[in-house]
Amino acid sequence: MDKVYQPNLRELLKKCYQCARCTGVCQISKVQYFRPSRIIQQILEGFEEKVLQSGVLWDCLMCNSCLQNCPEEINFADIVRNAKHLMVHKYGQNPEECVAHKGIYTSISELMSKLEVNPKRDLSWIPKDCEIAKEGKILYHVGCTPFFKFEFDELENVPISTLRILSKIENEPIVVLEDEYCCGHDLYWGQGKMEEFIALAKKNMKNFERSGISTIITTCAEGYRTFKIEYPKIFEDFNQKFEVKHIIEYVYEQWKAGRITFKIDEKTKEKINFTFHDPCRMSRFLPKSNTIMQKTREIFLQLEHLGYKFTEMEHNQENALCCGVSSWMNCNERSKALRYKRLSEAKVAGDTMVTSCPKCILHFNCLQNDYDEFSALKILDFTEFIINLVQITQKKKIKGDEQ
Amino acid sequence: MSKSKSKEIIKEFEPELLVFCCNWCSYAGADLAGVSRFQYPPNIRIIRVMCSGRVDPSFVLKALKDGADGVLISGCHIGDCHYISGNEYTRDRFDRLHSIIIQQLGIDPKRVRLEWVSASEGKRFAEVITEFTNEIKELGPLKLQ
Repeated sequence: MDKVYQPNLRELLKKCYQCARCTGVCQISKVQYFRPSRIIQQILEGFEEKVLQSGVLWDCLMCNSCLQNCPEEINFADIVRNAKHLMVHKYGQNPEECVAHKGIYTSISELMSKLEVNPKRDLSWIPKDCEIAKEGKILYHVGCTPFFKFEFDELENVPISTLRILSKIENEPIVVLEDEYCCGHDLYWGQGKMEEFIALAKKNMKNFERSGISTIITTCAEGYRTFKIEYPKIFEDFNQKFEVKHIIEYVYEQWKAGRITFKIDEKTKEKINFTFHDPCRMSRFLPKSNTIMQKTREIFLQLEHLGYKFTEMEHNQENALCCGVSSWMNCNERSKALRYKRLSEAKVAGDTMVTSCPKCILHFNCLQNDYDEFSALKILDFTEFIINLVQITQKKKIKGDEQ
Repeated sequence: MSKSKSKEIIKEFEPELLVFCCNWCSYAGADLAGVSRFQYPPNIRIIRVMCSGRVDPSFVLKALKDGADGVLISGCHIGDCHYISGNEYTRDRFDRLHSIIIQQLGIDPKRVRLEWVSASEGKRFAEVITEFTNEIKELGPLKLQ
């Protein structure tokens, strides 16, 4: 717990020499008054209490653009996360005023973190040709998408196509848990609720150990980062026990190992111009040693041989623009402006925008409903985009053959 | 020792229930139940809203999170809504809340309930509350706080 929560803000900011690059690149500063460099200086001058009391930090997007450009590598988003914990516990502020959708989805996570709640997920979405198990080696962490069905139906196909891809490639049934918990990302980043996050992490860990898995696969950028970066901070042996993979990494590895190729179906001759939106959690929020962005590009280059055309948006990879909201915090006209900027770029780059974060899809779809000019743009999850292109090179081992 | 003994004596579980009543029908119904002196268990706390359509699903989740053992939403009968169609929205939203969120969370769906009580149904209001309280007593505490 102490490792995740380090409350001395001044100590963390000491290196800042006020070059103000953070303010220059800050995405929210383009649409409202928010100056990270000023806030840092105020804290350094000893006005920490005043800054925290004013509640200005609730406005931070937590998109990590500032860290990307900071010469001293001050992790402002992480400091805001710590500050949020203080703002709730020391200054009695209520984050719920800033939470989007009146806090339905964060309430779900919080309810799950309570000891007495054991989810009983509806698994009827699983297609009949896919086999699932309770124990095995590979776990597909579905995440919160089934709960989003309460208001949105755009995401129904994401878990289905992921599971189809996985069971196409793997010989054994994939583990999908009925009592799967939330990863805790939104509580951790959005509201500074460390206790709930750690409770969820412990529950998840128990589940993983019980089902005897060694690989965790997610389709969600936020879940991927949380399992990959935050969980090892809580459990020291997490990395030895489990390997966390995003579905992009998984497809890339299988492709490089020669188990799958990308082929286009003869019947579907529509070939498209597409572009990729890098979610912040899968670009800026990962350590520089992580090559998932390059892997994504390599897959897309391969698709160009099939006649697809991949174009980068003006801002891409680490510099990608934000979808406007992270962890269900502050959805308002300003986040809409950010979304508008992003979709305008996407519209120039291609007819289809592929992304790998379910929440980004929701946010962009929401804007599409309001603006007719974007209605022609197709927004797809990576798995939905690639499902019909994945072809198995080696046939599945049939049990009878082994004898 | 004496303390723990005295705790054992008061063992019967008294649930804490939250009731959302719409101003025009159910709240008046609760009023009538009081005026006519129909008896019902004292476990409920009523929150008056102008229409049952005002009750956001997040209110229900927050109530459960903060220690309520059950939540009842009560409004005008379908077709009688003071705001014409507010309760129809409640009905649709409530169905989704039940099937997508409450059930998937593994919370017993009986803990969240929707009832239509009109202003003249004081007797019915008392009956609904009695029935709901008994049901939650059988289920036991939710123990979320």
